[in-house]
Amino acid sequence: MRDYPLENRSAFSPDVAVGTGAAINLAPVPGGFVIHVLGDAKSDEAALKQVLAKIAPELGADVRKSAPNQWFWVGDAAVYSDRLTELQAGLVNQFALADQTHGRVRMRLSGASSRTVLAKGTMVDLSADLFAIGQSAMTQIGHIGAMITRIEDDSFELIVLRSFAASLWDELHHMAAEFR
Amino acid sequence: MTSFRIDGGTLIDRHDVRRFTFNGEVLSGFGGDTVASSLLANGKQLVGRSFKYHRPRGILTAGAAEPNALLTIGRDGRRDPNTRATMAELFDGLEARSQNCWPNVNFDIGAANGLLGPLLGAGFYYKTFMWPAAFWEKVYEPLIRKAAGLGRASYDPDPGYYEKCWAHCDLLVIGAGPAGLAAALTAGRAGARVIIADEGAQLGGGLIAEGSSIGSKPADAVLGDLVGELHALPNVEIKKRTTVFAAYDDQVFGAVERVQKHLPEHEINPHRAMERLWRIVARQVVLATGAEERPIVFGGNDRPGVMMAGAMRTYLNAYGVAPGKRVALFANNSQAYQTALDLEARGIEVAAIIDPRTCPNIDYDGKARLIAGAMVRDTSGRRAIKSITVRHDDGSDEVIAVDALGVSGGYSPIVHLACHRGGKPVWSDAHVGFMPPENTDGMTSCGAVAGKTGIAACFADGGTAAVKALAELGVMSEAASLPGVEQAEEKADPIQPIWRVASSKGKAFVDYQNDVAASDIMLAMREGYDHVELAKRYTTNGMATDQGKTSNVNAIGILAENKGVSPGEIGTTTFRPFYTPVSFGALVGASKGMDFQPVRKSPLHGWAARNGAKFVETGPWYRSSWFPKDGETFWRDSVDREVNTVRTKVGICDVSTLGKIEIFGADAAEYLNRVYCNAFLKLPVGKARYGIMLREDGFVYDDGTTSCLGENHYFMTTTTALAAGVLTHLEFCAQVLWPELDVRMASATDQWAQMAIAGPKSRDVLSKIIDDDISNEAFPFLAAREVSMFGGRLKGRLFRISFSGELAYEIAVPAGYGESVADAIMAVGEEFGIAPYGTEALGVMRIEKGHVTHAEINGTVTPADLGMGKMVSVNKDDFIGRVMNLREGLVDPSRPSLVGIMPKSPSDKFATGSHILNPGDDVSLANDQGYVTSMCHSPTLGHAIGLALVKNGPSRVGEEVVIWNGLAGTTVTGILCNPAFVDPENEKLHA
Amino acid sequence: MSSLVKCPHCGLRPREEFTIRGEVATPRPSAGADEATWFDHVYLRDNPRGEHREYWHHSSGCRRWLVLTRNTLTHETSDVVDASTLKTEGAQ
Ligand SMILES: [Zn+2]
Repeated sequence: MRDYPLENRSAFSPDVAVGTGAAINLAPVPGGFVIHVLGDAKSDEAALKQVLAKIAPELGADVRKSAPNQWFWVGDAAVYSDRLTELQAGLVNQFALADQTHGRVRMRLSGASSRTVLAKGTMVDLSADLFAIGQSAMTQIGHIGAMITRIEDDSFELIVLRSFAASLWDELHHMAAEFR
Repeated sequence: MTSFRIDGGTLIDRHDVRRFTFNGEVLSGFGGDTVASSLLANGKQLVGRSFKYHRPRGILTAGAAEPNALLTIGRDGRRDPNTRATMAELFDGLEARSQNCWPNVNFDIGAANGLLGPLLGAGFYYKTFMWPAAFWEKVYEPLIRKAAGLGRASYDPDPGYYEKCWAHCDLLVIGAGPAGLAAALTAGRAGARVIIADEGAQLGGGLIAEGSSIGSKPADAVLGDLVGELHALPNVEIKKRTTVFAAYDDQVFGAVERVQKHLPEHEINPHRAMERLWRIVARQVVLATGAEERPIVFGGNDRPGVMMAGAMRTYLNAYGVAPGKRVALFANNSQAYQTALDLEARGIEVAAIIDPRTCPNIDYDGKARLIAGAMVRDTSGRRAIKSITVRHDDGSDEVIAVDALGVSGGYSPIVHLACHRGGKPVWSDAHVGFMPPENTDGMTSCGAVAGKTGIAACFADGGTAAVKALAELGVMSEAASLPGVEQAEEKADPIQPIWRVASSKGKAFVDYQNDVAASDIMLAMREGYDHVELAKRYTTNGMATDQGKTSNVNAIGILAENKGVSPGEIGTTTFRPFYTPVSFGALVGASKGMDFQPVRKSPLHGWAARNGAKFVETGPWYRSSWFPKDGETFWRDSVDREVNTVRTKVGICDVSTLGKIEIFGADAAEYLNRVYCNAFLKLPVGKARYGIMLREDGFVYDDGTTSCLGENHYFMTTTTALAAGVLTHLEFCAQVLWPELDVRMASATDQWAQMAIAGPKSRDVLSKIIDDDISNEAFPFLAAREVSMFGGRLKGRLFRISFSGELAYEIAVPAGYGESVADAIMAVGEEFGIAPYGTEALGVMRIEKGHVTHAEINGTVTPADLGMGKMVSVNKDDFIGRVMNLREGLVDPSRPSLVGIMPKSPSDKFATGSHILNPGDDVSLANDQGYVTSMCHSPTLGHAIGLALVKNGPSRVGEEVVIWNGLAGTTVTGILCNPAFVDPENEKLHA
Repeated sequence: MSSLVKCPHCGLRPREEFTIRGEVATPRPSAGADEATWFDHVYLRDNPRGEHREYWHHSSGCRRWLVLTRNTLTHETSDVVDASTLKTEGAQ
């Protein structure tokens, strides 16, 4: 039984309808990694990016601030647990890593109406001059906590706890329905 | 039936004929009509009955303040009671019904209440229904509700979708009349982010009713240009049909947008909200809400056909509806004369203008007879006005035949939103009205709400207000102006306040909706309720759904006049949200039905569902509670089988919902030592420890295990119920109490799918998928470490801990792999007879083992109460709860403490929550010895068992007690025993 | 009650993102302090009309504990700081 097939299942049901409209489009981001980086009180983002570039240049240094001295390090490559152990060893104590690849789910909301849809859930003002590309916010969408990151003018990535992912998907689906 | 529709009407489209029904009768109107304008056009002056006396009532206003024309509109789930006909837009197929009348609006039995008038005066609720007290709930209240009820809510669910939204702006302009439009244009041209909201279907406010020209252009063309420019500005957001109903703290404004309420059913987009609740965050606000024309309190002022003078003008100019064929006006101000001019311009006879002022300074050049120094005393007519009685200044009376009477008693600025945060409006003798408070941070009033009169003056004021508001934000701007219009010089033309026509014989209404007459207010004063807040509650003036928009100032005026003081000295009642009623649909938004709250699903949800789990809601979680097999018809059949399987073979249970927290940092061990009451400093790598957290008051907060996975790396589990609470508590300790410690925490609940594998065969099962040696020697009780699985293809975390009391493990794997691993365990466990078990079996086994949960950890127990007093460290300097846990009352040995309980006769049952009494004592809580915290049927022992908190419990093992179920009124003889019913020596755990 | 709170880490956020714990009590006493001091710390709270210092947790944002100085009469929030600064200031 050691060769039992192992499948990494998505938090979304297999029949989620992925929209393709120009006005609004919601899609899961498959694969990749989400690592919660917990820095000590003296840590800062520049230092983190520098050390990540040194120890894992192939993974990129897309870090999104979630709290003072804490970030979600996000990328599209697969990072297995042995590699994670290596990374942690390279960081010593200033930055601790907690793997959230399975615990936090990424999805992308894009299209001309994406900002209007998100305004139905979050109070954060996402107008372009206040929330630039690359900027992130830990907030609530309706009753569900999520991190919103602006990827492009009309495209946002949402990171949500896995157990809430299907619920958030449903809610966004309802909120976006009028634009489909 | 006579049609009252005449030429003109800037809002209506005569090519768009719309049919609707009113009390079953088919009528028609036009696109752009309101229900009110189309009823008037059809000659329906009588539209409803009043609340208390069931008097015939007609349409009084043309806007949001309407107290009379409340209709039930729509049917089934889309039925909206108490809808103001003046605000409801007409659509094809609309169904409207009158309220407060039975059997119909023309003949209403309740009108007999009118004859009982003397009994139904102020305070009648308190006086008439005093005795006997028991009658209140059973007789009086249902009767009052039946007789006085407004429209009835539908029992059908509303099929419409509702939602909430946030919006942000530099400047929020509330009201789109001339002042609001000027403010929005000024700010829009300066590049500011502007939201302009108006409750109407069209922007324009007072401009809409302006029939004449402005400068050299027709009024509607001027309005068209203004709105056109606003639409073209990308930084201006226009919200029509949007009522800003509340001003909340920190410049947040509540607004409701009626998105699709004005559409016929076949045009409703089911994916779009019917109504949208907005929360608008505004850096600055311009309040341009206008002023409400006040009625005058005289006899029979509620007769259908009596209407506000300004409303008459709106119906005439905006909707092309004549208010009557022979109209009189009763006004104490000069603005109302414009109505006379407009009526005459459309060929409607104005029989007389009655003005209480002896020498009104007006430049009216119309044909109507002006009766100065006079008042309308009374009206007559059964279902509609037939004539008015005028009291001349010499005391003589004159009857004038009319079929409509326009009334204007002055203007009350609509100050509500300026007062929601506690500001008090200020009385102005000059304006004869309450003006907005002087200091409203971030809010500038302009136009009619600020006491301005006339289109040009309001427009200019709006521009100035926006310039001022933007300056606060450091934005320079230039006030918009109306091209070709010179602001007329203000002329001395004082309004003469008239609060009540003293010579009236008939009932003179102050509050139309609640049927409060001037006599009621006088009575309240005589009986000592002369404070404005007391008078309001005693008479119910201003307490109806219109919140006294047309009545409050008159009521204050009457109080003031009778006390001989200024209305300013009386003051207003408190202004509170909402400005106008907001539907429950909008307030609830999308959070209804299955969307009431988010659903949390375990990563093993699909696996459990495939194995036939019955789910139970635990907070937002769906947990598998048992797994029925074929032939099991009763839940306990399944639970008993699941327990027996675990006790004799092996079972698998989803425990992913337990809270999981990763803890890092150089001071993590020291920190854990301070948050747990037992020692954690020397927990070695690879070991788990059971820990108890106290609250600072010394009582138990939560329990769980924490494992040391590496140097400065710990993994804590909490109960499902307190997962969020414990993390919040830990963060408080780390951030507030001991910020000097290097400790960092991450919630990892969702990262791991966690399964308990329990039973004598659990090691055999796990050995088939785990590569490492997990023999008792290599992996003893409380071992905890990362293991390699499936030939190195997966890493998991294995913990040798047990809630069931059996040889047991918990294995955590990355959540995405959870289902595969659970499937694999089921497959390899088949030869050992494995079965999935749910939270019910888990609960049974923990009671059999005497393990506590939050049924026992109820906020009033100490570790000692739970038999774990020895765990509390006496060596540690400090930990949360250390000092308070040693308080006198908390160390009293006679405190209720944990003990097992079972029935003396094995066939007897008892219930959780039952109280424990000593045998022979009276059955009374006075003799209470404690209570049953948990109970279940033990399939292992074959009878009911329970846990209880009983005074001196542990020292009374073996004693007989009485188990008293006070709710069912039954008693059962029980025996106190060791709470560990199964394996008290822990041999199975260490096997 | 505040509708919006300016979190020093996240900016302006709605009340719903926060959990309120109540008044900032006296600093946590040392383990050796007498029972009366502990009693004050654990149980005694003021309920002033006017300025009030309260713990607010940005539970749906950065998950930091904050101290709000809030006027219970006007609802104005005059100051928001990270709660860890209390101890460095010697107040906790
Ligand atoms: Zn924050």
